[in-house]
Amino acid sequence: MSEPLLQKNTRILLIWLAIVLLICSFLFYVVLLLHTHHMQEKQLLLKQQNVWDAFIEKSGNIERHITAEYDIVESAADKTIKLDEPRDTLLHLANRKKTLPFEMLTKNLQWNGRPYHITTYISSTEVSHLIAKVFITEAMILILLLLVIVILNRRSSGLLWKPFFSTMKKIKEYDITRNKPLDLPTETGTTEFNELNNAIADLTSNANTAYYNQKQFVENASHEMQTPLAIIRSKLELLINQPDLTEKAAYMLGDITEANDRLSQMNRTLLLLAKIENNQFPDTEEIKISQILKQTLDNFKRHYDEFPVLIMNIEDNALINANRSLIEILISNLLNNAIIHNQEKGKINITLQSSQLIIENTGLPLVINPEELFERFKKSSYQNKTTGLGLALVKQICQLYHYGLVYEYENGWHRLKVNFS
Amino acid sequence: MKLLVVEDESSLLQSISEYFTQEDFLCEGVLTYKEALNKIEAFDYDCIVLDINLPDGNGLKLLQYLRQYKKEDGVIIISARNSLDDKIAGLDLGADDYITKPFHLSELNARVKALIRRKYAQGANVLELGNLQLDLVSRNVTCGEQKIALTKNEYDLLAYLLNNKNRVVSKQAIAEHIYGDQSDNMPSFDFVYSQIKNLKKKLKEKGCDELVQTVYGLGYKLSL
Repeated sequence: MSEPLLQKNTRILLIWLAIVLLICSFLFYVVLLLHTHHMQEKQLLLKQQNVWDAFIEKSGNIERHITAEYDIVESAADKTIKLDEPRDTLLHLANRKKTLPFEMLTKNLQWNGRPYHITTYISSTEVSHLIAKVFITEAMILILLLLVIVILNRRSSGLLWKPFFSTMKKIKEYDITRNKPLDLPTETGTTEFNELNNAIADLTSNANTAYYNQKQFVENASHEMQTPLAIIRSKLELLINQPDLTEKAAYMLGDITEANDRLSQMNRTLLLLAKIENNQFPDTEEIKISQILKQTLDNFKRHYDEFPVLIMNIEDNALINANRSLIEILISNLLNNAIIHNQEKGKINITLQSSQLIIENTGLPLVINPEELFERFKKSSYQNKTTGLGLALVKQICQLYHYGLVYEYENGWHRLKVNFS
Repeated sequence: MKLLVVEDESSLLQSISEYFTQEDFLCEGVLTYKEALNKIEAFDYDCIVLDINLPDGNGLKLLQYLRQYKKEDGVIIISARNSLDDKIAGLDLGADDYITKPFHLSELNARVKALIRRKYAQGANVLELGNLQLDLVSRNVTCGEQKIALTKNEYDLLAYLLNNKNRVVSKQAIAEHIYGDQSDNMPSFDFVYSQIKNLKKKLKEKGCDELVQTVYGLGYKLSL
């Protein structure tokens, strides 16, 4: 399970700091208790000393018993009393009509050869009040501390991670097909983030170079292929004009011509793809989609003797800003796709509504994975006369202009949706 | 008609020369920029077919030279780079036409002839074969005395075949000539077949149907 860094940090702080603070509070309480007991013992001893001093000075003529202060008892042989050790007790104070906790200490002392038990008392109430007050104050300070630590931590984390988040935002916006360098600051004020930015900048610049080289390779290779293709084509034209051409040779030449033509066509499409990738269609203008759509449809109808049944629902006002020839290519490829991959006596539905173009055609389900439909050279096995580049071209153009492109298959209908907005 | 072909690929140059020699052109071919410059300096040509990517120089410079010295030779650029910039640069420098590799020789032939007709008002503006006549100015087609009404595509097809008369023109060449880039996505050349069928039918009505011949599966030929 993952959660944001800040939240994770806060959660760890809240759990562990709270545990540590609880343990610390307990320790503090124990130590406080020990110290107060020690203090009470000292006070009891001091009082004992004072009372005994007074007892000896007055030769035993002092009050032998004052409630909550002291007792002097001529030592009977009471061995049950623990000596020299503070004990808890409850005393009833008659004047205040209350029974209160006291601490007492009994000592055995000798005077004129006779043993005496002298016991002194000290009130526990004040001390326990003090302990409670100190403990509450301490607890409040700790809670405050916890809060301050958490808040400070959140604040400083936000500040510390700021370069990281700005880098991440830029990486998210990065698109290798645009071939623009990723512009990251080299000085963020934090060594680790500097290193991160440098590493990412290196990575993307390498990827950019590789991508550029690959695009360049496709374009150059396509260009280089044009001349040999032209030679083959010209020789074929001379060959088919030879006077002594036999029928068998003619059919072979026909096949070669067709294959060579497909090669030329593929080559031209690859070049076009490379050019779109290399952004060589910068001129844009305002285009009415419906106009191009109708124009292309008219052309297609003239080309095909058996055009599939056409149902159109075209809204006239969809305008886009793009390169005209690219949009023509986009639409003619989509339409062509719907015609070629249709079945006999098939149908085509065309819907253009609020800048969404939907082209549906009847046909058998795809043999290939729908996700691979827009990849180059992916085609169904039974269609071997196509280049397998038509929909790749559509995808490339959609990518260039950030149009949405979706394929669906439902009840014998292939549906391609292009969202122009 | 004098034609100079500047093309660094010798086998392509040879094909172009052979094709145009058969068309009764006086055809000279050179492989380099230098040779081309020498030829252009020394002679005048009706048309120059110019590859702009030459090993020892840019063909566009030859074009500049021609225009600088006010030479009137018609120029058709052939280029492997189907880039709009090249095309615009070439046409700006005074080229008359532009064609991209790989092209059909029949297409190049049609363009050279069109250029020569345009530029010099030479050669009749009427293409004819037997009693079939096609007037390029008025766009009238007649068989004997009878006028034949053709659609735009059928007219283009007939003009193309007449420009390449007595030659087998492949279906692919016809498709590309009539539909241009749009022929790219055609899965078959059935539409060429149906255009030819319609054309033949119309010619037959007027008695010129013998002219269009189908050559196996390869293409079509217009001849007596």
